[in-house]
Amino acid sequence: MTEYAIEAIDISKRFSRFTDRRDTIKERLIRGKAKRSQDFWALKHVNLQVPKGSVYGLIGHNGSGKSTMLKVISGIYRPTSGTITARGRLAALIELGAGFHPEMSGRENIKLNGSILGLSKKEITDATDEIIDFSGLRDFIDDPVKHYSSGMYVRLGFSVAVHMRPDILLVDEVIAVGDEEFQRKCFDHLYALRKAGKTIVVVSHGLGQLEGLCDEVTWLDHGEVQKTGPTTEIINAYLERVNTEESARSRQVSATRSPLEIVNNELAVTSATITDQNNAPLTHTETTKTFNINVTMEITEELLGPNLRIAFQHETGPLVTMVSNHRVGADFGVLQPGTYTVSATIPNNPFLPGRYRVHIDVFDYTGTRTLDTWNEVLEFPVRSASGEIGQGFVTIPATFTIT
Amino acid sequence: MLTALYQQRALVWAFAGRDLSTRYRTSSLGWLWSLVQPLIQLLIYAAVFSLVFRVQAPGLGSDPERTSFAAFLFTGMVTWNIFSGLVIQSMNSLRSNSELLRKVRFAAWTPILGTSLVQMIQVGLEVLVLIGMFIFLGNIGITWILAVPILLAAALFGQGVGFMLAILNARFGDVQYIVTVTLGALYFLTPILYPMSLIENTASWLAWIVELNPMTWFVTAMHDVMYSLQFPPTWVVPALLAFGMAVFWLGFTVFSRLSKDIGEIL
Repeated sequence: MTEYAIEAIDISKRFSRFTDRRDTIKERLIRGKAKRSQDFWALKHVNLQVPKGSVYGLIGHNGSGKSTMLKVISGIYRPTSGTITARGRLAALIELGAGFHPEMSGRENIKLNGSILGLSKKEITDATDEIIDFSGLRDFIDDPVKHYSSGMYVRLGFSVAVHMRPDILLVDEVIAVGDEEFQRKCFDHLYALRKAGKTIVVVSHGLGQLEGLCDEVTWLDHGEVQKTGPTTEIINAYLERVNTEESARSRQVSATRSPLEIVNNELAVTSATITDQNNAPLTHTETTKTFNINVTMEITEELLGPNLRIAFQHETGPLVTMVSNHRVGADFGVLQPGTYTVSATIPNNPFLPGRYRVHIDVFDYTGTRTLDTWNEVLEFPVRSASGEIGQGFVTIPATFTIT
Repeated sequence: MLTALYQQRALVWAFAGRDLSTRYRTSSLGWLWSLVQPLIQLLIYAAVFSLVFRVQAPGLGSDPERTSFAAFLFTGMVTWNIFSGLVIQSMNSLRSNSELLRKVRFAAWTPILGTSLVQMIQVGLEVLVLIGMFIFLGNIGITWILAVPILLAAALFGQGVGFMLAILNARFGDVQYIVTVTLGALYFLTPILYPMSLIENTASWLAWIVELNPMTWFVTAMHDVMYSLQFPPTWVVPALLAFGMAVFWLGFTVFSRLSKDIGEIL
């Protein structure tokens, strides 16, 4: 039988929006007991079972109840109904350095924070050196923390929390602290804690981070559990929902050129769209998913195989790449006057998440004369299908072998 | 209650240590400041009430022919300061620790008691000054030892009230203003600036109100043992202690009940 470190059964949490709390006495006297009509349910019948020694992730959009759930687990909030059981010493990384007193030195703050988290004097003394080493703040540890930079502050906060020998560590969006080096240290430490059989609950928007760290994930939506299960499966389901919702809201990527802009050559590009494999219009593209760029052009005189060139520019400026039909050996032959649509298929979308601009140029068969130029035709977002963000602009296929 | 107090002693000490080390850290005179304020107040009140209003203090215990209005006044002030200091510090403690209470789960009364311990040290300094004053006047007696339980009872009383006001103040922001005004009025309804005899003769209805004020009981007892060097009736000190403990217990119970959602209230 699995042993659970945290068991939440049918947890609901109600917040009274404004009427009841933080009222003035005057209003109480005048209006009597405030109405509870403004109730807001931050959590609705949430069930969670976190196995001992596992890393558990909570995902969901802003306001989905993730952080509230974490506060319920840590005991800061009492659930309105339901029961919560946490076995072992809890340490919450809900806000790093929350208990620090600005006038006290780093060392004194370590002591105080240790006491607040329930450690004995001896445990604190034992941990102090480790904490100072981990934070990398040995030179400043006897200075008041008010002189610390915000980076130093959170580094000390993180170091204190993870070294308090917790059995259960609650982490709220705080992994991204400090510089690259410290972040890596944090992750290494979380992995080490996990190896040591500690239970970790992580709330994060960094889905990529979660994917590498978590064993199981629960997806919360408006305070309700949508799905619980293996990390990759849940993250994919979540992203699919996010992307669908996003599509429903945003405009499709297409452009039509006003006749005034058209230079009267024998060829004019009039509109462009982006569609998916089945030619359905898109509002964005997803990494690794094949898409088409469709360019409609009008030809007024017989024309020998024009060369259509599509350039992709990253939103930050750099030209990423260009594709053209001549380069890939596609010759359209002799075209009679009329309207044509050229579809350029980009297999397994290699672009990394971000926004890309499309520029179109059409040249004659010899490539010496420009027939039409249309800059900034389209701008399309690329979203991650996996949560991975990646570095740079494109991903290229690669295989590795070792001998 | 007692087991909870015992279990959390380390945390209470940690908070006391924090307050102790940070209270006057930014000033160069440090703890001397804690004496400056009451002494200046003493000087002003002594001047105004004895020279302007010509309030007469009763005769000193060592020599009924001599009186010292300043010593009489300071005895009352010290007793009052124990009470009001604990009430005010406790009341503000939750709010000044709100950052922490909203983020970490721990017993919310621990920072309050920590602050109170430091406050007791501050009043302890005043008591030392008071003792010095009486030694200087040659007004010394065995009755002094009773000052310890009396002041302790006053502290328990103040802490009990402080607990209740702390949780009220966390919920309703106007409590602190009401309390400040009330304490200001109560100060004058306690025989600190005048002996009881003065109003008993002139305004008996006022004396009746003053007698109902619990702080009057503590201040009168202190006047007896420190200034007049008289033993109060035997039941007085046990009664004060019992009263102090009862209020403390009540305050602690109310606080524990109502502070469960402290992370949300603040």
